[in-house]
Amino acid sequence: MASTSPATVNGDVAPANYDLVLKLAPHLDRHMIFPLLEFNAGRLKEDETDKAREILAAKYALLKKTNMTDYVANLYCELEGLKEPPAEYAERRQKVFHQLEKYEQETAKITELLQRDDVVNNLRSDKVANLEFLKKEHDVTIDMVNALYDFGQLQYSCGNYADASELLYRFRVLSTDNDKVSYATWGRLACEILTMNWESAMEELQKVRESIDTRLANNPLAQLQHRTQLVHWALFPLFNYDKAREPLLDLFFNAGFINTIQANSPWILRYLTVAVITNRGRAKNAGVHQKQMKDVVRIVKQEAYEYQDPITRFVHALCIDFDFEEAQQQLVLAEEVLRSDFFLLAHADDFVDSARHLIFESYCKIHARISLKDLSARLGLNNDDAEKWIVNLIRDTRLDAKIDYQEGTVVMNHPPSSVYQQVIERTKGGFFRTQVLTAAVAR
Amino acid sequence: MSRFFRGGDDSSTDSSSEEEEVYTSEEEEEKVQAEDESSSEEESDEEESDEESSSDEEEGTKKKGASRFLQSDDESEEEEEEQSDDEATTKVKSAKDKRFDELESTISQIQNGQKINDWSLIANEFDKLNRQVVKLQDGSKAPKSYIKAIADLEDFMNETLAKQKVTPKKMNATNARGLNAVKQRIRKNNKEYQTQIDAYRKDADAFMESDDEVAAPKVVSKVRFEAPVVSAEQQEEDDKGFSTVDSRGKVVQYTPESILKHLRAIIESRGKKNTDRLEQIKVMETLNKVVPITPYQKIRVLQTLISARFDLGAGGAAQMPLDQWKAAERDLASLLEILEKEKDHVVVEGAEEWDDDDKLPTIPEGEKYLKVPGSVVSLIERLDDELTRSLQAIDPHTSEYIDRLTDEGSLYNTIFRGLLYYEHLRKDVSLEVPQESLNRIIQRRLDHVYYKPAQVVKILEENAWKQVSAEADSEITPRSQSGDAGKLINILSNYLFENSEGIIRARAMLCQIYFLALHDEYYKSRDLMLTSHLQETIANFDIATQILYNRTLVQVGLCAFRKGLVYDAQNTLQEICGSGRQKELLAQGVMIQRYSQVTPEQERLEKQRQLPFHMHINLELLECVYLTCSMLLEIPLLAQTGSSPDVKKRIISKTYRRMLEYHERQIFTGPPENTRDHVMQASKALAAGEWKKATDFIHSIKIWDLMPNTEGIKTMLAKQIQEEGLRTYLFTYAPFYDTLAIATLSSMFELDSRKVSAVVSKMISHEELAAALDQVTETVIFRKGVELSRLQSLALTLSDKASSLIETNERTLEQKTQGSANAFSRKDNRGGGQRGGGQRGGRGGARTGGNPQRQAGGTQFTGGALGNAVRG
Repeated sequence: MASTSPATVNGDVAPANYDLVLKLAPHLDRHMIFPLLEFNAGRLKEDETDKAREILAAKYALLKKTNMTDYVANLYCELEGLKEPPAEYAERRQKVFHQLEKYEQETAKITELLQRDDVVNNLRSDKVANLEFLKKEHDVTIDMVNALYDFGQLQYSCGNYADASELLYRFRVLSTDNDKVSYATWGRLACEILTMNWESAMEELQKVRESIDTRLANNPLAQLQHRTQLVHWALFPLFNYDKAREPLLDLFFNAGFINTIQANSPWILRYLTVAVITNRGRAKNAGVHQKQMKDVVRIVKQEAYEYQDPITRFVHALCIDFDFEEAQQQLVLAEEVLRSDFFLLAHADDFVDSARHLIFESYCKIHARISLKDLSARLGLNNDDAEKWIVNLIRDTRLDAKIDYQEGTVVMNHPPSSVYQQVIERTKGGFFRTQVLTAAVAR
Repeated sequence: MSRFFRGGDDSSTDSSSEEEEVYTSEEEEEKVQAEDESSSEEESDEEESDEESSSDEEEGTKKKGASRFLQSDDESEEEEEEQSDDEATTKVKSAKDKRFDELESTISQIQNGQKINDWSLIANEFDKLNRQVVKLQDGSKAPKSYIKAIADLEDFMNETLAKQKVTPKKMNATNARGLNAVKQRIRKNNKEYQTQIDAYRKDADAFMESDDEVAAPKVVSKVRFEAPVVSAEQQEEDDKGFSTVDSRGKVVQYTPESILKHLRAIIESRGKKNTDRLEQIKVMETLNKVVPITPYQKIRVLQTLISARFDLGAGGAAQMPLDQWKAAERDLASLLEILEKEKDHVVVEGAEEWDDDDKLPTIPEGEKYLKVPGSVVSLIERLDDELTRSLQAIDPHTSEYIDRLTDEGSLYNTIFRGLLYYEHLRKDVSLEVPQESLNRIIQRRLDHVYYKPAQVVKILEENAWKQVSAEADSEITPRSQSGDAGKLINILSNYLFENSEGIIRARAMLCQIYFLALHDEYYKSRDLMLTSHLQETIANFDIATQILYNRTLVQVGLCAFRKGLVYDAQNTLQEICGSGRQKELLAQGVMIQRYSQVTPEQERLEKQRQLPFHMHINLELLECVYLTCSMLLEIPLLAQTGSSPDVKKRIISKTYRRMLEYHERQIFTGPPENTRDHVMQASKALAAGEWKKATDFIHSIKIWDLMPNTEGIKTMLAKQIQEEGLRTYLFTYAPFYDTLAIATLSSMFELDSRKVSAVVSKMISHEELAAALDQVTETVIFRKGVELSRLQSLALTLSDKASSLIETNERTLEQKTQGSANAFSRKDNRGGGQRGGGQRGGRGGARTGGNPQRQAGGTQFTGGALGNAVRG
């Protein structure tokens, strides 16, 4: 957090200071960190060879332990400037192939069985019975099932995510070992994420979540760790798959998860904030969005001492301090940060647009008269565009506002909320609640 | 007269009685001369001779007197020690000792009588003496002093008789009668003790013949042996009829073999009514010193000795005497030293008692250790408690207190060594040292450091490490980590947190929070406080822990204040300071309640709980902080709600309100004298929009100097006052303006216009202010026509009350049914949402709850200020 100290609020800060890769990495899988590194390498300019080398070394260190031997060997060559990879890589490669073959043989039978219709049709939802059945009819042992798991792991390690996913799926169908099943679920989630198969990734994610909620209910620490990991992994679908957004936001705002974020990984707030702000037009239910926005503001405020970056500072300036100029400045910085973030790159424009809306909204709420000229400067648009933009906005949000063209101002009308309306609001649920109460007492 | 005073008295009366003697002889002379006016030469000759003889005799008595003087002087030296001990502790003596004292005083009376030739007195005292001695007698032995007394008396009587034959006239009737009575009785009496008297005579004769210079040391040596032996004998006799041993045989008496027997005797007599603890301690001291003994014996002796010393302070409110505490501390240190040296001896709780009467216990076959029953940690704890007790009793504003406080260093060292020892014991699993002992000792260590600034802790640690050997290291708190106080606290409390439960665990947590708060780590301490969930369970803990909790809470509040978080500070301090019972809650003084119903017992307990002064949190500073925070929150609120009747219920600090009302009732207000006056006058100024005056008042409070970084705090306060002043001003004067230029406001409050517009925007957005900003002209436009009629505002209030009633009902039912009723699914949902914020700690909810609350307040009374103003 040193890099995001408040001292840099107004200074021109390099977006690299807000790079979260180091923070994210411990909670991600090796294979998932790789794209992040790749992205960072891609952003480097020609002259930054030192950094490029650094990243290369990081990549090498990252993948050294995996079984993607060819790629690792290439990396090594690149790193050391060699033409031919050393012999040990060939050796390892051989080894890996051997292992692959070995597992292939071990799992051949069961794979074959599971492809036969007559077998599959006989399977029921009861795992124990299934295993019994397979044992009796086809001599399947528990070792063979476990071999599926190991094979899946190996495939994953080699980078064959699709195959791994398939293997793990089969394993999960048969295995009764709860621990391994949950590992397999995590494994499948990773595979689906890496193959960008978002729909099934979401399914897996839901499964993982359930298992965290139920299986680890009496182990708060493990629950916290697993949740942290899940939150990090969920970032992939969150920003890459539009349909995943709402369920995932729901997930994030779930009490358990929001606490996890607050306690263990406040940097996720950046993603959460961006997701919520960019979600404003898309949310089906405006009420939900408003509530989420409120939550975000509250959490940003609470966590300000632990985590700050231009995005959260923007929210802070706008919704807590009502310092529009500061918000404006932070927005500029935030855009830069967004553009240098692996997850948020694609959403930078979206965010800026939504953020402008947000600024304008609260600006209008407070002001009675705004100069068009000033506004357009503030929004970073020219006069005509700003006018258009405002007209659209007024139409969209049904603001009670008019443009006075001659004066060059926007005039807001804030009708005071009627007393009658207030009384009605407050007494709205009273009857229903009392009824519920009486019913409960009667029971 | 107490026996212990006799020695000193003796010497003084000796000299004075000598004078007296001179005086009386002169008087006699005069009398004689007056009586026999026509005195013959012979007579005068006779008289001269008489005088000579009497002077001879006087010389004799003088010599004796001198010897006595020397003796008694010596005795008095010895006894003065005792006396000081005795005086400082207690006047309780065993009945035996009392009798002994009586005997002594009678003897001295007789001696006095001898000096002034008052035979009637002597006769009376002699009778008494004989009666007393019967009680004191054991077997055929009579107390030595008695023998000496009667032998001397007999001599003196013989002399007097001889003298009387020469000058029969001089004796008056009563005196003569007394002399006769003594004469008759002493003959009879002394026969009984003839042998002893003879023995004494022989000694005395030898003494008479030899020169004074040679004789003196002899006597000294004799007496020196006599004193302790007599007492020891008394002790022994008292306990089990131990047969008396010759005074010079004392060394033999404390043979290594018999040590344990002695100890046993002492232990058995412990707690009994008539035991003289001081005597026991003396015996044990000699036991410990004189004889070269085995580690086992040494350990046993030290253990018993330390416990005996603690017994001195037991019972009642009396604390342990200083020298005894110091001695106990020394003994404990040497005990630990022995234990460190003799690795095969261990002191563990619950070990079997050794049957050590006959032979020394040895290490049993197949075992590594000789286990001695006992508990080092209990001794250390007791030592600690005693120090606290004595600190409680000493007036903290004296140098004595500071002197006493220096002992804490050595105590800390002892605790530290104890900790090392227990760690060492824990290493061997076979010993089965309970985790709890280790926890207790760590807790003690933590208790001594948590409230101290890091530098002080560092010094303590350095000293503690210095006194242990260089290779010794602690597993829990490694030497390398000892430099950093924060780390040390962290290690200690984490250890306790992992390895203990219940109170110790809670205390460890609180200590850590306290330390963090003290060192300006607000967020860390707050988060810990919240995650500990102690505020929910604290009521179930013992009072000491509750006090610690209160202290911690206050410290967190002060920390928040130093950080400039006024709202949090006020919120945190509210619970303690709002009650008006800070003193009691922090155990820094007993509240004097006017109509108190406290029993003396309760009062005593209360007194025991008090913290020693050096641990206190400055109450005046606390009040100052609390009031200042309350001011910053309350004044804008007051301005906002105006005088409307239905808003009164929102009160942040009742205490503050009460003080403010009281202050306002005063007809004349002089310049502020105390902290409270300052804050109150500042409040008044702030309410009137005179923020500069308010700042001046607040800044002139002297007690800020006690805060670290005084200047920083003052600037922070000035800034806060500026902002709150602006808010107050807007609330108060909004009704009288249509528009207000931002620039005007900014110059009025010396804030830059951006800040002003931010504040105004915030108020508008939270619907606290019915206004809007005009960007073109840079003004605030106050909206009109938002005022409510009486009926409308009442309707609003009614609807409010109705909904709060429903909520209360729901809550009650939920509590009753323990939330099992599913009918409240709607409520549950909401609760879940709120828990999102609150989960980081119950308090998180409360804290964040504040803002919506404020907002809600704003919505409820939209344009409240305006409305009220119009109405009023």
